[in-house]
Amino acid sequence: MKILYDFVAQFNAKLQLDEIQIVKNRNRFYLLPKHLKQHAPKGFFYAGTYLGAVKGRSFFPSFLLLQMIAQQKANKLIVDKKTSWLFICGRDIFKKGIIKDSNLKKDDYTLILNDRNECLGFGKMLINLRAEIDLNKIAVKNILDIGDFLRREKKKQKNSIIKN
Amino acid sequence: MSSKQFFIKRYKKLGWEYKQVQLTQAIRVNTINSNLDTVVSRLTSLGIELEKISFLNDGFWVKKSKFSLGATAEYLLGLYSIQEAAAQIPATLFTNQKGKTILDACASPGGKTVQLANLMNNTGVIIALEIKERKMFALTNHLERCRVTNTAAYNMDAKEVTKLDMKFDCVLLDMPCSGNPITDKNWFNKRTIDDVHINARRQRQILNQAVKVTNNGGEIVYATCSMEPEENEQNIDWALGRLPVKVEPIKCYGEKGLTNVFDKQLNTSIKDCKRVWPDQTQGFFVCKLKKQEDKNEDII
Repeated sequence: MKILYDFVAQFNAKLQLDEIQIVKNRNRFYLLPKHLKQHAPKGFFYAGTYLGAVKGRSFFPSFLLLQMIAQQKANKLIVDKKTSWLFICGRDIFKKGIIKDSNLKKDDYTLILNDRNECLGFGKMLINLRAEIDLNKIAVKNILDIGDFLRREKKKQKNSIIKN
Repeated sequence: MSSKQFFIKRYKKLGWEYKQVQLTQAIRVNTINSNLDTVVSRLTSLGIELEKISFLNDGFWVKKSKFSLGATAEYLLGLYSIQEAAAQIPATLFTNQKGKTILDACASPGGKTVQLANLMNNTGVIIALEIKERKMFALTNHLERCRVTNTAAYNMDAKEVTKLDMKFDCVLLDMPCSGNPITDKNWFNKRTIDDVHINARRQRQILNQAVKVTNNGGEIVYATCSMEPEENEQNIDWALGRLPVKVEPIKCYGEKGLTNVFDKQLNTSIKDCKRVWPDQTQGFFVCKLKKQEDKNEDII
């Protein structure tokens, strides 16, 4: 659990999760609603709200967890439409694409939201945002974006072709 | 006689003149994450032309799109799913899904599981089974993308569902089937009547087990995308003669179920099932069964 909370804290956020409802299955964390926890037999492959997975010393969050963090007070940047699309395509974010910021510093982690406040993923600051005057400078390195749903499928298909 | 001639002749006997149909792509709005008007407005602003599907609450035909519907931000945010129109019917047939315990016995890739979660507003419990491990990935990816939180997914054969030691209010049986030549252009070259019989037998085995885990008075929706009566009306006829179930009338798109198949008279209540011959949609069959008092008999 510490690794999950440490991940959330990187965004200057706090999540109040009912730990009794959290189930670790292999290397994955799931938050199960009471009703599901009572009724779902053991041995599931996936259940409830998938929170993320631990691989080695790293935590890989789910998009459901990122959305939960985005609903709290946390490091967030809102980006314009074009930047939203480029971010989903795996690209980094230029300062000029940010339409609402907070005083984020180099190496801070931040959630990336579109102009409808929908969480698109997260990244790491490469600059001190308010101190930087060059709008064409890359401000955020893309770490994870929702385009990953498609990349995962393609990767899985590719692996399956190789196996066959 | 070629396989194609054989099957086309059968369809004619059943009342359908074979024609190759151009399917219209369809989407379903995920109402737990947004609402119809917002999603339609967002997609329209991208240049996608949608038209409401008259027989569905949340479904839309995609009349025109310059790009893949599976690669928009709205799709990745789980605001809609790409789901064939006829395939959107079965999950809607249960009576008041909210708060219930529902089994989705053959779940991957998860379109109907997500649809059920929407209809349940993420309340109650869905147990989703998928026999093939490689298909679990598509299922769980779909659940995460569409923010489904009331579901537990198991890599399990539906024929072994009694091992879960659970009872369900509703059971969705979207059966593994022979498919149909509308969605698979190579269908006539690879399918034989033997395949149809093998699939029909497997479907009966799954149905038999599903009835055992359904509460008395519970509902079972049986669906296939096969047009072969062995996998549809004849299986329901088999069930009515051997399992504690009866056919419930349903109001949805489609024609009456066949009660006379190749000169064999079936139970007349099968008329209350629905058969969809391909037109804008693929071929489809759906039937709602109600579980009667359980005699606890093992049929197969």
